[in-house]
Amino acid sequence: MKQNPKEQKYEKQLPVKMPVNQETINQRLMEQEATNQIFVERRLANQNYAKKRLTMEQKHVLEGYMFILPWIIGLLCFFIFPFFQSVQLSFSKITKVAGFEMDWIGIHNYAKAFVWDIRFVPKLINAIQNTIINMPLTLVFSLFIAMLVNRDIKFRGFFRGTFFLPVLLGAGFVLKQLLGMGVEAQAMEVARGIVMPDEVLIYLGSNVTKYVNGFMSRITVVFWQSGVQLIIFLAGLQSIPGTLYEASKCDGATVWENLWKITLPMMSPVILLNAIYTLVDSFTASTNSVIEYILELKQDVVNYEYAAAIGMIYFVFIFLLVVIVYALSKRSVYNSAEK
Amino acid sequence: MELNLEFIVLKNKFKRWEESNPKLKFLFAKLQNLSFWGKSLFRLASYLLLIDLAFIFLFPFFYMVITSLKSPIDVMDITVKWIPRSFHIHNYMRAVKSLNYFPALARTSFVTIFATIGHIISCSMVAYGFARYKFPLRDTLFSMVLLTIIIPIQTLIISLIIIYSKLGWLNTYMSLIIPTFFGFGLRGGLFIFIFRQFFIGLPKELEEAARIDGCNAFRTYWTIVLPVAGSALLVCTILSIVWHWNDYFEPAMYITRPVLQLLPSKLPALYTFMKKSIEEDSMVSEVISLEGTVMAATFLVILPILIIYLFLQKKFMESIERSGLVG
Repeated sequence: MKQNPKEQKYEKQLPVKMPVNQETINQRLMEQEATNQIFVERRLANQNYAKKRLTMEQKHVLEGYMFILPWIIGLLCFFIFPFFQSVQLSFSKITKVAGFEMDWIGIHNYAKAFVWDIRFVPKLINAIQNTIINMPLTLVFSLFIAMLVNRDIKFRGFFRGTFFLPVLLGAGFVLKQLLGMGVEAQAMEVARGIVMPDEVLIYLGSNVTKYVNGFMSRITVVFWQSGVQLIIFLAGLQSIPGTLYEASKCDGATVWENLWKITLPMMSPVILLNAIYTLVDSFTASTNSVIEYILELKQDVVNYEYAAAIGMIYFVFIFLLVVIVYALSKRSVYNSAEK
Repeated sequence: MELNLEFIVLKNKFKRWEESNPKLKFLFAKLQNLSFWGKSLFRLASYLLLIDLAFIFLFPFFYMVITSLKSPIDVMDITVKWIPRSFHIHNYMRAVKSLNYFPALARTSFVTIFATIGHIISCSMVAYGFARYKFPLRDTLFSMVLLTIIIPIQTLIISLIIIYSKLGWLNTYMSLIIPTFFGFGLRGGLFIFIFRQFFIGLPKELEEAARIDGCNAFRTYWTIVLPVAGSALLVCTILSIVWHWNDYFEPAMYITRPVLQLLPSKLPALYTFMKKSIEEDSMVSEVISLEGTVMAATFLVILPILIIYLFLQKKFMESIERSGLVG
């Protein structure tokens, strides 16, 4: 007779003094086993069921990933892989052009950019200088124009449509062509008449006139490139609840106080957004000298690794500037989520 | 004494007349108020400023049209500033010829349309995922989206060229169109950002109701969310069209065969055309006369998007206000 380990255990647990009838014990064991079997089957079935059917939460997570799946593929193919390849490329030299095989040569390319290449550093400094000067100008003027247009004025639609128009010129060759013709100076020549008549300039002398003209033509270009910032500011101004202004009016606040105590604090996240957008935009504009340089370098495959190094240097500077802007503005930006 | 009496009578008469006409009374009260004068002066000044600014913004377009219609003699003559003596259509004919305009227009439209479709589909979908679902690493991934906005294309361009040359995408429009279907391409990250801001502002109840009725996730997005997102779609479509149309850096990098070049990349070829004519013919007048042709070409390049914008301008501005672009 087979001795089941379970049976032995059962026997041990039985009170000793009870009369043992082998038949009844067997019968009971059979019953027990049958019920056990059912429980085990049920449990297994349950487990299988749970494996097939996800919980609500898991399903939610999976759907979320499904939505961003194309972007993740794109991130790997068009962003992370090229980025690391660029890093690798900037530290190496292409030995075979056909398959783009490369050898590690250390920081040679970076040294070339900063030490040997006399053309690169002035271009980089010029680009950064331009960006740093133009960014505050863009922000101040586009916010100013947005506030002008946001008021209750006649021909509001016309003015708004007009102020976005130069975006159509883009940052490409069209704008470059126009700037090559000196259009910005001509535009200013006429428009300046209202803000600052010629008589005033003659009185101030030629030196001041030169600065004023230089400043004005810079501002004109800034105007033409601030269309997107303008519409972002407009959207931001629209999102400030009107009740705030009504409340401050009841308390007797002046327009000036409204500007500093309501408009600017409420707009601070938008200003930060615009600051970063302007930064990136002016770094990728075609009027930027470094970009022309990269275009020029790309003509010859021999320069590829050097162009990659320049691209990396460029990235480091833009990233540093963004971090600086973000860190400086972090304390003064109003966050509605904190409230 | 008599005069004084007459004056009082007149004054009373005037008062009665004034009181009989409440509108007039209001006007007089307004005119007596000093702050009214201040306000209207301020208003006048702000209108002047606005018109001045509008002039600056419109000037490049005026300049383009006017110069493109000038004959070589008019370009040389500084007394002809605003209205050319005769409309010189010849400039446009020459520009169309040297740009090879209509085939180039078809190619550019093809790239712009498909790239825009790619951006709209992929960016709205990805943004919906980021806005409505909670999953591990979501915030990290979204900060990656912001990073893709910050990193300039110039950093990646060389290795992108290498990748595309291995895939055989160089000198085809695949290199410009395919990345947009994955939420990349020209400023893809920015469109994801705009769509996400919009979807966060959208009430959840509609989608929840759809889900309870048994709509699956994708169908909810496609049939419930997208039709409501009209304003964000319009904003992104216009920005995408305009940016793709004007983009010159990436096309200049990927597409080097002159037969395949897009419109904006053809403009610098006009410069070389000008330089050549300087070398061939040292007559100054001939060189300057090309200015009209160059401006005609430039105007022809932006003409299609100008027309699109003029048609959609009003809706576009309304959508920007409604799209909740900034939360």
